[in-house]
Amino acid sequence: MRAACTCIIAAALLAGCRNEPPALTIAINAGVEGDALKVAAAEWGARNRVRVDIVELPYANLFEKELLDLTSHTGAYDIIMMDDPWFPRLVEDGQLAALEKRPDADFLASCLDVCRAPYRTCVFYALPYVGNSQLFFYRKDLFDKHGLAAPATWNDVLAAAKKIGAAEKMYGYVMRAAPGNAVITDFMPLFWAFGAEIFNRDGHAAVATPQAVECVRFMLELGKYSPPGYTGFNADEVSGHLLQSTAIMSINWPAWIAAMDDPARSKVVGKIAFAQVPSARQKGVAELGSWLLGIPAGSKNRQRATEFLFWATAPEQMKQAALRGNPPTRRSVFNDPELRARFRSFPAQLASLESARPRPRSPLWNEIENAFGIRVSQANSGSVTPEEALQRANQEIDAIMQRAK
Amino acid sequence: MIRTLRRSWPGVPWVVPTVVLLLALTIYPLVYSVKVSFTGPAGFSLANYARLLQDRLFLQAMAQTLLYTVVALAIEFALGFALALLVDSLGRGRAFVRAGLLAPMLLPPVVVAVIWRLIYNPQFGVLNGTLRNLGIHTSALTWASGERGALASVILVDVWEWTPFLFLLLSAGLQALPQEPLEAARMDGASPWQVFRDIVLPLLKPVMTLAILLRTMDLLRIFDQIFILTQGGPGFATETVSLYIYRTAFRFFNFGYASAMSFLALGLTIVFARSLMRLMRVSR
Repeated sequence: MRAACTCIIAAALLAGCRNEPPALTIAINAGVEGDALKVAAAEWGARNRVRVDIVELPYANLFEKELLDLTSHTGAYDIIMMDDPWFPRLVEDGQLAALEKRPDADFLASCLDVCRAPYRTCVFYALPYVGNSQLFFYRKDLFDKHGLAAPATWNDVLAAAKKIGAAEKMYGYVMRAAPGNAVITDFMPLFWAFGAEIFNRDGHAAVATPQAVECVRFMLELGKYSPPGYTGFNADEVSGHLLQSTAIMSINWPAWIAAMDDPARSKVVGKIAFAQVPSARQKGVAELGSWLLGIPAGSKNRQRATEFLFWATAPEQMKQAALRGNPPTRRSVFNDPELRARFRSFPAQLASLESARPRPRSPLWNEIENAFGIRVSQANSGSVTPEEALQRANQEIDAIMQRAK
Repeated sequence: MIRTLRRSWPGVPWVVPTVVLLLALTIYPLVYSVKVSFTGPAGFSLANYARLLQDRLFLQAMAQTLLYTVVALAIEFALGFALALLVDSLGRGRAFVRAGLLAPMLLPPVVVAVIWRLIYNPQFGVLNGTLRNLGIHTSALTWASGERGALASVILVDVWEWTPFLFLLLSAGLQALPQEPLEAARMDGASPWQVFRDIVLPLLKPVMTLAILLRTMDLLRIFDQIFILTQGGPGFATETVSLYIYRTAFRFFNFGYASAMSFLALGLTIVFARSLMRLMRVSR
């Protein structure tokens, strides 16, 4: 009996050892953006009778795993999912494989531009899978009640925050202000609207200009109508305030739209409207945060990976992904009547995506964003003045650029 | 030659695989990281170490780490010792109380941080919710989200989780004390305070040294709780050396500078540990 059991276990182990390697291994973000890709990968694997392995990693670890794989050419992944600000760093030194085919013109230009190196020109190294760009979320029911139109400018936002906030005993505006990526993500649309830029034409840091100071001062003014402790807020806290009906307005990402209309999670079903980012000195533009799919140069299954990449981003598949909750990157999918009837935010999403602006295309962006984020966060919490925060940020960004030379 | 070697040191073939594995997994990466820390764009360079002295953020992170360590250690030690003395004086139910007190330490630090992040939420957290129910105005109580209270809030989490560790060690030390000197002192008319000061404390000193040493080394490399709770913010208020090194290495992929920072932190930890041991030895 014991010998029989040993034989069975040994046979099972041997069978495990003889398992074929996967045809594709895909690294994805553990979150709503990666869920649709997981389903698509399973479907493609079943259709082609090959094994597709999914490596699901949280946002905080995905970049480092991918960069380690790319720089050491391990070939661990055949396809990687990447947030678009990571692309300039990941594409460096031929770490991503150039695509053999050009993508078709149905993709939105803003999404395609960030897939090329250098930006907007030359070779394609990735395809856009999730069309993320910021939207302005606001309580339409309360704006209607107080006779206000959708806020077109940041001054409108401030006025509405004061008026509605006081009348309804709610927080007028809520923003992500935790240091690093969070604070900069919500700050950039305001920064651009006030006419400020990270770099000047010569490529030097330019974050301490009068426009930038004015912008930080305005942000502090908005902070007066924000919930206590907003300086430590991330996306979940911001959305929590909207969902619980304690705040009136915020900048947010499309990933949170479904939650706003989900009765199980939201107290504001049907009450939130989605608009374009407000303007100030310049027309308001949203920040782009598309998720891209690329093939590491070290992939041992490049041909199959290319097939999957074009299959998963084809209109039919992107429609399926949209039905699963992913914002598309194709105009035809945004204009699909079935999807338009189902997702009321699609017209606003398309308009936002058409004009959205990516973060500066620098391989050093992570470091720059961190340095800038710390100083903006310090200004937000009042430990330094706006001028001091921006001057320090300017010096630190210049030092980062200098070190990289 | 191999035969001679085998005859002289018969254990060599058995030890070689372990030594090779150790060299490959520990010594080689260590030597490599030393090399990386001394490498600049044009070969050998001290630039990474020179940058350390000019990096205001690193120096601030270092100061905050030391403050965090000293404050958390002092509170944890005082509370752990008090609890150990209290539980030691209990008659019945000692085992039950001890098991209950150890519960926070058994939770993974990441889970503890997530729980406290929810507790600290100024608007929806249970802490401010309870205070509001008691009629306390909470709009200024931002806990880990406010620049002023952030460091204190993360220290509180550490105290909650790791006081049981010091309690456990000190409690075990108290249990292991020889009873004869204590009984002799009591028979000679020593007061409880005199017994504690002149007999318990000196006898407990080795355990106390060990407890402080282990906890200090752990506190100096604090990472997980702060990463989850505040990510070093607001601003730079809770950034520690470990967090700064992690970001430099794995977010900015500057391994040379991260290695230099790691070696400086390691050096300081060794100096601190040696000084502490010497201090305890001198005062013995």
